[in-house]
Amino acid sequence: MNQELVSIEVWTVIAQWCNLLILFLLIKKFLFKPVQNILNKRQAEIDTLYSSANEANKTAQELKENYETHLKQAKEEAVEIIASANQKAQKQSEDIVREAHEQASNITAKANVEIEQERKKALNEIKDEISDIAINIASKVVEKEISAKDHERLIEEFINNVGDAV
Amino acid sequence: MEISVSGAKIYYKIPIFGGIPITETLVNTWIVMAIIVGLCIWLTRGLKVHATSKKQIVAEFLVETANNFVCGNMGEKFKGYVPFIASLFVLSMVSNLISLTGMYSPTADLSTELAWALLVFVLITYTKIKTNGPLGYLKGYTQPIAVLTPFNIISEIATPISMAFRHFGNIVSGSVITTLVYAALAALSHALLGWLPQAINNIPLFQVGLPAFLSVYFDLFSGCLQAFIFTMLTMMYISSAAE
Repeated sequence: MNQELVSIEVWTVIAQWCNLLILFLLIKKFLFKPVQNILNKRQAEIDTLYSSANEANKTAQELKENYETHLKQAKEEAVEIIASANQKAQKQSEDIVREAHEQASNITAKANVEIEQERKKALNEIKDEISDIAINIASKVVEKEISAKDHERLIEEFINNVGDAV
Repeated sequence: MEISVSGAKIYYKIPIFGGIPITETLVNTWIVMAIIVGLCIWLTRGLKVHATSKKQIVAEFLVETANNFVCGNMGEKFKGYVPFIASLFVLSMVSNLISLTGMYSPTADLSTELAWALLVFVLITYTKIKTNGPLGYLKGYTQPIAVLTPFNIISEIATPISMAFRHFGNIVSGSVITTLVYAALAALSHALLGWLPQAINNIPLFQVGLPAFLSVYFDLFSGCLQAFIFTMLTMMYISSAAE
């Protein structure tokens, strides 16, 4: 048995109404809910990734700044250290040179004094020796009477001449 | 030669309330629903956050397309309507396309379209009342002047009726024309090959070919188009009801 081609059957209308609503609920439950769920999860994951990437970026930036500051500080310190070391070395070398100079001049002075002393000593010895020799030679060679007074004067003259010669 | 085009077969009458008929329309609608729901379950099985299967990409594509389509036509605030619009579209489309297999199309029964159109009408009215309040809704009938009230009422009632008949008419006209063409081609075969022995002239020679092209138009093209138009009108009416 068939229905008319154009006919409205109230029960069919009600049933089709319910069918559409049921299909709506089923499609919502079996297609839209799970897919939307997955899409939301993916979005959440992407958001997390982005925020963590931003976080990492920020941390890296901070670290970089930190390192740069440290590096700058270290450079400054190094420059300072080198400068102070240079200064110290300069001062030390100056001290050493000055000391050396002092020592050298001391030694020279001392040596000069010694030399002078030696010279005087030698001069005196020579004078004594020469006077002895002269007296001997004189007494031997001349063999003539010389008064003690002349004797004395001759020696004196001789020594003076010798002294001038030296 | 007699040709008759009739409505849905009545399989059984539940003997309560004066007989509730279980018709071909209902049974085929259930089949269509089973196909759609089965497809949905199959598509969304084993979804992962990191999509690896083509199935999931298809499922996501369908959902995204429906979302974009509805939000694009109705606005973001109607996001809750997406599953309803999608089920209306897919139910209408698969119901139309099922006739390709030779089964009776549930949309060739006016009751089906009337049910859908009435549901849309309810949604339109609900949206109107929600937007303007009950008094504002009633006052809307006297706009722009009170004299137009009867016409406004007629146009309001005409909305679901025109929607239902547009869809129904397109599908049924297709099946009527297809039936007529089949009959005409059978008659032509009979007339031209009638002098041949019985065994040969029973071969419906001219029925091969031409009906297939008609079927492509009436079942495939018109079926998709009518589903699209019905959903489009639904969206337009509901979104304009919110203004």
